[in-house]
Amino acid sequence: MVNFIDVIDRAATGPMMSQKDFDIKVFIPALRRAIKKYDIKFDRKEFVNTDDALADRIFEAAVDFYSEVGTYITDTERVIRFTQAEIMEAVEDAPREAYFGEGPDRCVMKGRMPDDNELPYCHVGSGTNTTEENALRLVESYARISKAKTISIPIINTLGHIRTAAGAPTEVFAAIRSIQYGREGCRRAGRPGLGIIDHVSSASTGVSTIAASAPQFGARPSDGWLVAPFAELKTDYSSLNQTAYLTAWGANIGQEAGPLLGGYAGGPEGVAIVNTAYSLHGILVIRATYHLIYPIHMTYVCSSHPDVLWATSASTQAIARNMKVPYYTLLYAAAGAATKMYFDEALACLLMLIASGSGIEDVHPGKAKITDGCTPVDMDFTCQVGHACRGLTRKEANRLLEKIIPKYIDKLAEAPAGEKVNECYDLDYFKPKPHFEKLYTEVLKEIKGEFGIDLVRF
Amino acid sequence: MGKKEAFEKMSEAVQEGDTETLTSAINDVINDTDPLEIIQAGMMPGLKKVGEAFGAGEIFLPEMLMATEAFQEGMKVIEPKLLETGQEVKSAGKVVFGTVITDIHEIGKNIVITLMQTHGFKVNDLGANVSPTTFVNEAEKANADIIAMSSLMTTTMTYQRDVINYLNERGLRDKYIALVGGGPVNAEWAEQIGADGTSDSAVGAVQIAEKLIAQKKGGAS
Repeated sequence: MVNFIDVIDRAATGPMMSQKDFDIKVFIPALRRAIKKYDIKFDRKEFVNTDDALADRIFEAAVDFYSEVGTYITDTERVIRFTQAEIMEAVEDAPREAYFGEGPDRCVMKGRMPDDNELPYCHVGSGTNTTEENALRLVESYARISKAKTISIPIINTLGHIRTAAGAPTEVFAAIRSIQYGREGCRRAGRPGLGIIDHVSSASTGVSTIAASAPQFGARPSDGWLVAPFAELKTDYSSLNQTAYLTAWGANIGQEAGPLLGGYAGGPEGVAIVNTAYSLHGILVIRATYHLIYPIHMTYVCSSHPDVLWATSASTQAIARNMKVPYYTLLYAAAGAATKMYFDEALACLLMLIASGSGIEDVHPGKAKITDGCTPVDMDFTCQVGHACRGLTRKEANRLLEKIIPKYIDKLAEAPAGEKVNECYDLDYFKPKPHFEKLYTEVLKEIKGEFGIDLVRF
Repeated sequence: MGKKEAFEKMSEAVQEGDTETLTSAINDVINDTDPLEIIQAGMMPGLKKVGEAFGAGEIFLPEMLMATEAFQEGMKVIEPKLLETGQEVKSAGKVVFGTVITDIHEIGKNIVITLMQTHGFKVNDLGANVSPTTFVNEAEKANADIIAMSSLMTTTMTYQRDVINYLNERGLRDKYIALVGGGPVNAEWAEQIGADGTSDSAVGAVQIAEKLIAQKKGGAS
């Protein structure tokens, strides 16, 4: 694989252009050509792609597209490009397994295949945000979910009465404290070695990430660090600095990206290719050992829309069949926490992912717009579905989604806001409050009665 | 080519993002047609249709970007004529728009800007990583109606409040409509920091901008 030093060199010597030219003259035309050349079409006859040949064409299209487009570096206004031969060599050399955590809590994340009987990797907690006073209890509640192999820790929005701000000392403090709370929360849950794989969620800058990653605050190389791009296929020196630091430390690096359906990637076909291209960018530029994708619909600000479900299923299969890298997906529900609609959306998303070959994590309630808007029940539900539905085929998933999606599709634009965690969940006793308990019991009963999925509460 | 035919051609060319056809159709009639008429009867209907198709989910950002690019190229042909005649294009409102300081995510901002342009707003794109003083100074320079601030992260949205605080400090708060938006931004946050509005979607953002401009100008709400 092309050495990281050579990648950095290309960031300083590659072709120079403005961001606007990269978007309009390079990215968009190349994506349109790839969609046409590889005949990528969503016929809207199924929610979960069942066509292996199409999945493979999406991978070929992504390789072709990425070799033409590359990754734009905003600091230098240059583009890092790779030949198709370099991309394919990187695919061959990319890590197939990522190891997280220590001692009895150590685990492995592997690639899965579509229709695979292998248990989907169950991760919980990504991208939640909270206040400092809730942070420790929340982490403990995540770590108590025994089927969760790894957790993410919440972004801390406030330090006491002060709101944290990117690039300010408050961010450095919040980043350090989030790791300290993360480690302590895991200890309190009796899982001190549990891997935390979203370091450093409270940091938006390289300096805060690197400062908070100093081992004296609790971070370990067996945790994972997510390095994000900008839409689409752009990064900067701050992100590459994180990669430089983490590569030198031998830590797990996660490539993360959230292509916007309706944005530069266009419709479902474009999103399927761009999702896949991000994994190529991930192994080459970010030096990823694991991968996270979170596509979202621009208009509905969620992922439970059929266009996003199909694009995600097709790209997941493209990656699973052709790259076999450790991979999981975060999806977003329009409905807020503690609502019936949330569980309908979450079930649809999770079934699609399990059948397509992805690892899973809790579907975010309320478009991820609400501080303290996620609950441990959502995470528990995710792990239950993952275990109950291992071996689910894409055809079976389609049959189930045909019944589930009509329950919520007409309500996406006016989805219920739901509740905040403190309103529906008791963080002292780690259990839902009575009204949420009642709703959840009804949800589990309905899922068993209607779909035959028997979910056991852990 | 008659005027009507040329206008139809312009509208279609804008919708297809076809700069060559658009500029050719403009050149066919520019010497004997009011430049404002070319814009209003030829180019704007195409741009409006693009905005409507985007709102209906029939097309996406790439198509809308191509259309606005073509429109702007067409404007370059018309502008000398406008200067000659001393005419000015009437806008739905003047907006300064940027992503707040420390945040370099631009896609959300770019989508809303492009949609605003299809609805006749004149938008000054300040780019990303924009400081509070730049927002306000640029709004003053442009005599803007709206200051629009985008932010993708919970740790950067706090700088939206700084812009509003700075407007208050300079005694300019009532002069501008302050809109906020971005991934983590919701109505609760907008209210908390004293912004005038927010929306989850680009279409909603344009609707709010139109409504607040109408209110500001004393029109119907």
